[in-house]
Amino acid sequence: MPLPDSSALVVAQRAAREIAPGAVVALDCGLPELVARFAPPSLGAMFLRADGTLNGAPLNAADAAAILRGGYVDLAIIHPAQVTADGSFVSRLYARDASIAPPGIGVDLASNARRVIALHPQINDDDAEICFADARLERPKDGIQCIDTVIADSAVIEIRDGQFVLSEIAPGNTVDDVLGKVSFPELVSAAPNPAEMDLSPPAESPRSKVFPDGPSALHDLPDGSTVFIDGFGGPGGMAHYLLISLRDRGSRSLTIVSNTAGIARVVSFGTPPGHTAIDHSVLIENGQVAKAIASFPVSPSVSRPSEFELAYRRGEVDLELVPQGTLAERLRAGGAGIHAFYTPTGAGTLIAEGKETRTIDGRDYVMEYGLRADFAIIRAHKADTNGNLVYRGTSRNFNAVMAPAARVTIAEVNEIVEPGQLDPEEIVTPGVFVQRIVKRPDGFTGYE
Amino acid sequence: MKFSKLYDTHAAAVADIPDGATILVGGATRASEPSGLLAALLRQGASDLTVVCDLSDWDGSESILKLAHENRITRLISPNPFVGEHGGVIPELWHLADIEVIPIPQGTLAERLRAAGAGIGGIFVNVGLGTRFDDGKETRFINGVECVLESPLHADFALLRADAADGVGNLVYRGAQRGWNSVMAAAARIAIVEADHIGEPGSIDPELVITPGIFVNRIVTAVGAPTY
Repeated sequence: MPLPDSSALVVAQRAAREIAPGAVVALDCGLPELVARFAPPSLGAMFLRADGTLNGAPLNAADAAAILRGGYVDLAIIHPAQVTADGSFVSRLYARDASIAPPGIGVDLASNARRVIALHPQINDDDAEICFADARLERPKDGIQCIDTVIADSAVIEIRDGQFVLSEIAPGNTVDDVLGKVSFPELVSAAPNPAEMDLSPPAESPRSKVFPDGPSALHDLPDGSTVFIDGFGGPGGMAHYLLISLRDRGSRSLTIVSNTAGIARVVSFGTPPGHTAIDHSVLIENGQVAKAIASFPVSPSVSRPSEFELAYRRGEVDLELVPQGTLAERLRAGGAGIHAFYTPTGAGTLIAEGKETRTIDGRDYVMEYGLRADFAIIRAHKADTNGNLVYRGTSRNFNAVMAPAARVTIAEVNEIVEPGQLDPEEIVTPGVFVQRIVKRPDGFTGYE
Repeated sequence: MKFSKLYDTHAAAVADIPDGATILVGGATRASEPSGLLAALLRQGASDLTVVCDLSDWDGSESILKLAHENRITRLISPNPFVGEHGGVIPELWHLADIEVIPIPQGTLAERLRAAGAGIGGIFVNVGLGTRFDDGKETRFINGVECVLESPLHADFALLRADAADGVGNLVYRGAQRGWNSVMAAAARIAIVEADHIGEPGSIDPELVITPGIFVNRIVTAVGAPTY
């Protein structure tokens, strides 16, 4: 351990107090990993580690990257070598062997976490001092203007408006004691009355992700929202109960993003006689949809047009057509912090009209943008209360790619279990991507 | 002859890896590495290799180190290009072996591999600007966010490890195996998998499949493979 054990534990214990209930916390290697020890399970925090596990469950490296870059990390905890007063940092490994210093996840974290805490910056393991640096620092940095707070064994130092401000002091230390341990004390000012460092455990509990019913899960979905609606074509993999709840809620001027704009009703896909399949049509005929972004928005049968087609012909709705694979990639990009990308799909066709094109290694590409939404209503088979999802059959297809790309993802599931009751190998969507869970009422079917 | 992805030996599965190949090596831990395939690659003799792998916590990386000792690795692309607590003796080895070590942020590696696997020509991300990884790549403001253009990372071969494979290459992982292996499978022209269990098509519950068989070209058993 780089700091003496007792100091490291103090730093970790204090850092744990910064974890909000239910927060997604990314821990860089080494000292930051100690912080998880001081977060009681009741806090409901989810820890993403540099080894690509989330609360110990393995992630695909691309999902881990999406968590790091898609805006999901509430708090990143790092252990740098040096910190400057503008919140930039030099990696410890760089400070020691510049030629091969690995970035690990540090660069990802610094670029995209909502808040970054640096634990006791030290160049070498035996440095007792808190390694700050002034503007003359010439070592290249792994993160620029990203650190909000520095937690050392003797103090908490905030970074405010390009300045170090001493805000808390550990018991038994004075302001002068702390300044005596800082490598550039002249850069540090003390808050008027620095508080005593509080090491008590964080006590709050997170708000549950489990909502009692559809209306409560959709209570804050306003007019004008963009909503991802999962499902491929048929009734499978569609959040029917949430669709009906959204219809009953009546939010208007929605932009819906989906593979189809509702064809299950006209194609029927084995709908029992006397019933109609529930699909996007319930929103369209209720006048709630202003626009669809879809890859297959028409009925396959000319004689039986879908609700969306009829509304489009009446001039009531707008349409943006997206090739199916491009839709999936735009959603994936939206969830992974990819703002735009080049795809060969559609180059030279109507799809490319008005878009930037580019030739890369002799092949023509079209630039497409990441797609994000305010809400996603998705369908899974099982969830645990942390939001980890298991799918069944075709419900894996668009659900899994939509879940990360919405600000609020609401999953309709058949069964909700406690954390630890899902086989980690079976989890497809990590709980980080799911904000709300609703159990589909017993006996509810995809038909009206 | 009936087409089959199953190979009898590790040696046969890696026989055609040529000098100069770019090779993705899955895993980051002992249980998640393709140790048999790596051992076979050592014996096979290909050199001037570009190796892409994460060595952050890899007890079993001896094959990589031996390849380096034999001067067969020209370039190493890695988010964590050495093993052990703060490197130990390994950094010296990299210097001695005169390997071009290219450190790459972990998320950037994952996304560049994923882009390659999905046929994406480039991605705009706001990672690393102004840092030591800001190396003059094209940048652009997209919807008000300054982004850098990263290119896909294609490879000739991927050496992978899975828990179970069926005959068509559908893969199930165990623990840390899922991490890099699942992303690398799609990014290589030829993905070779060493699996602990190999069954008939249909022997794996479809809900458990993480890597679809279409990304997998060759399968060989991990049983009897060297463990370090």
